[in-house]
Amino acid sequence: MKLNRRIVTGAVALLLLCSSAWAQGVIKVGIVGPRTGAAAATGQAFDEGIKLATEYVNSKGGVLGKKLEVVFEDTAAVDKAASGFERLVTRDMVVMVLGESQSSSALAEIEVANRLKIPFVVAEAWADDITAKNYPYVFRAGPSNSGVVSQSIAKWVQFEKFKKVFIIAENTDWGIGIGKLTENAMAKAGVQFESMITERNSQDHYVELTKIKAYKPDAILAYIYGVGLHYFVAQAGETGVSPKAVILDGAGPPSLWPDYWKNVGDYGNLECFASSMHEKVELTDLAKYFRESYVKTFGKAPTDYKSRSIFDAILIAADAINRAKSTDPTKLIDALEKTNLKTTRGMAKFGMEKGSPRYHQWDPPMLVIQWQKKQQVVLYPPEAATGKLMR
Amino acid sequence: MTGKRLGFISALILAGMCILPLGLGIYPQHVLIVSLFYVMMASSWNLLAGYTGQVSFGHAAMAGIGAYTSGILAVKAGIDPWIGVCAGTAIAALLGLGLGALCLKMGGIYLSLTTLAFSQILHIVIVNEYDVTRGTMGLQVPGLMAEYSKITYYYIMLAAAVLTLAILYRMIHSNLGLNFRAVQNDEVAAKSIGVKVLQVRVLAFTVASAMAGFAGGLYGHYLLLITPEIPSLDLQFNVLAMTVIGGMGSFIGPVIGAFALNILAEKIRDYGEYHVLVFGLVALVVARFAPNGLLGIWRRFRTRPHARSSNRLQD
Repeated sequence: MKLNRRIVTGAVALLLLCSSAWAQGVIKVGIVGPRTGAAAATGQAFDEGIKLATEYVNSKGGVLGKKLEVVFEDTAAVDKAASGFERLVTRDMVVMVLGESQSSSALAEIEVANRLKIPFVVAEAWADDITAKNYPYVFRAGPSNSGVVSQSIAKWVQFEKFKKVFIIAENTDWGIGIGKLTENAMAKAGVQFESMITERNSQDHYVELTKIKAYKPDAILAYIYGVGLHYFVAQAGETGVSPKAVILDGAGPPSLWPDYWKNVGDYGNLECFASSMHEKVELTDLAKYFRESYVKTFGKAPTDYKSRSIFDAILIAADAINRAKSTDPTKLIDALEKTNLKTTRGMAKFGMEKGSPRYHQWDPPMLVIQWQKKQQVVLYPPEAATGKLMR
Repeated sequence: MTGKRLGFISALILAGMCILPLGLGIYPQHVLIVSLFYVMMASSWNLLAGYTGQVSFGHAAMAGIGAYTSGILAVKAGIDPWIGVCAGTAIAALLGLGLGALCLKMGGIYLSLTTLAFSQILHIVIVNEYDVTRGTMGLQVPGLMAEYSKITYYYIMLAAAVLTLAILYRMIHSNLGLNFRAVQNDEVAAKSIGVKVLQVRVLAFTVASAMAGFAGGLYGHYLLLITPEIPSLDLQFNVLAMTVIGGMGSFIGPVIGAFALNILAEKIRDYGEYHVLVFGLVALVVARFAPNGLLGIWRRFRTRPHARSSNRLQD
């Protein structure tokens, strides 16, 4: 009996020794994002991007001669986001944290990043406040509300010469923030508008649609994330509000999810959406590599552009670690500030204007795309357009 | 157990709890802080369900009342969070008193349904009144201290949990506690010997609500973010599971349940999207094979040798 116990103890000790030795050959980065709940599809997209990015980075020699390893923490519940971030830093000993797609969670996480002095590169949470606080440890390699509105949505509304628009936004940091920025942009552009806040998890938009129908807008700018957008598009079609009024999905991915057509049926035709990815348009050779690897690995074409966002964020992190020649947070911050890296969405470079949301911010280019008979047609910007708006 | 022995064991556990976080990192400290919050929640809910037989689904709502009262006072009126926590406790107690007086005459399933409705109404109001509560985005609130310190939060939560448990212990082991048990076991018999059933129930409901409000207020200022997750049915069912799995109707059961389930929940976060499923399976297994909770298993093991020896004596 005693001998058995000794053997077991010895085996456990050996296993621990081996695992710690093995761990010495690894540098860990943490990813935060929703893996459960209403936005779980983002978690899946992140998972896919993580797999491709770690394979890519490790095939090129890894980071500082070691293997890059990713630990993915579920931060679907806003009140668990900060503790999830802490867990990555203190338990998993990650050198940097990346990701997040929910602005409310990101706003809780940036406080932890700042307190623990750990670099945090936000990938897909758009609220301006994330970078507007000008925290030295917080970066964003992805769209921001003000960037998307000023560079894409407001310009597209003017380009299409819409006279009246209706803004409907969900009651989240992202929704309310982007809704307000759009109101300001419309007022500045002299476009007549009306706006309304809606419940994020609502499955019934008939009340809102009655008001929208009475307003007779040319376009509806819908800032609703998740399956909620599918309900909105289907019910807008059912009540005859669209396609008279063109719907723009201001977030993008829900219009590209595999169950989009199943949920909205023919009402999905002629809907527009903002996206940093198009099924045929590739901005860089790395984007081409990403698509080919994605198809090879998962046996399908990429749809949710968030898989590419996290892919880019991991590449940015690996590049910063290699240039810093260290995992020291101060050196990593310095390296991140000097980033000039080709990613799938163009050259990543962080802004350095203090006192504004442009600080530590890189806005990748966004496209406005329309579904025309289940084909993606780029409408804006004009230099990338593959067709014209249909109504 | 004699009073001296109990006092010695309690002092020993308390000393252990004081030393426990010193060698730990900030993440395990966080897990302990959240566990202490659940200790307060589960123990106070146990006063209702375990000692007076009132199954309320509004306990998490009361924690939400405490958290949002304190948070809103701090954010909108700049009131010190400590005063806010006291205000939140008082408001939760008042609401508990009002709700208790209104619906405790009904008892049974009607009480459960009324508190469930109250909880849902409160949740809807919080989610939709985003100008005041910031809805699902969460209300960012200041901390209890100017400088954020995990270890200080741990000792604050430990002191609060000890205070809550001490009050509960005194109540349960007093004449009032006997009245609670009498009301739970046979309402008619209790009434016939002069126990004021309604008053006893309302008192238990008010005290439990105040404790939940107190716990919620402290928890909100610890998280620095108050979201509708606090007054949610998810949190309510967590509290229910902790009490039942720990051992409902016993003083120590909910404490064991709170630590066991919260640590388990953190442990299985590694399973990613499957952690909810794993948690459910564990809860099911415990409910099936240990209906008296973890404390029941412990008691069974403790009494077995005695049972064996008494059987031998009988033989």
